[in-house]
Amino acid sequence: MSHIVQIEAQVRDPVAIRAACSRLQLPEPLFGSAKLFSGLREGWIVQLSGWRYPVVCDCNSGQVDFDNYEGHWGERSRLDAFLQRYAVEKTLIEARRQGHSVVEQPLADGSVKLTVNVAGGAS
Amino acid sequence: MKTIEIIVAPDGKTRAETFGFSGQTCREASRFVESALGKATSETLKPEFHQATSSQQQSTRQ
Repeated sequence: MSHIVQIEAQVRDPVAIRAACSRLQLPEPLFGSAKLFSGLREGWIVQLSGWRYPVVCDCNSGQVDFDNYEGHWGERSRLDAFLQRYAVEKTLIEARRQGHSVVEQPLADGSVKLTVNVAGGAS
Repeated sequence: MKTIEIIVAPDGKTRAETFGFSGQTCREASRFVESALGKATSETLKPEFHQATSSQQQSTRQ
């Protein structure tokens, strides 16, 4: 036992973006330029359900650009669901790449719990 | 059994906690989560971290 870390996710992996969109049954993300209200943005374009403008993920900076006009042009909860699924998919990809097995479990409060069994070599 | 428990909140914020590790090894084991997701905003060392580190230092001195 030993430590607890809080992490704020940055969106940097197109493979995990694609997996998150697939899991949430969103259209396949495309790379390119998209028009938001505040101007053009380039990156991976994700179209959330009910959102007027797409969300644009800049995988170089990890930043996610969006215009939802404080909820009038799209519910914030849709973006949060995408960010949550991205974090889950990215963790699954990296854990498996390290040779660890992972068990995924939804929790009652809407969180997702991932239990990573660390292979012997990583101790 | 060495495990890392990761809770991804509904807004995407993530909390990782290690179990069954001693001293610095937990940091090495969980580093892939931090490097995969982004930047750590805080870190809390549990009492076991210091106990294990202390006993390692004592055995090094002997």
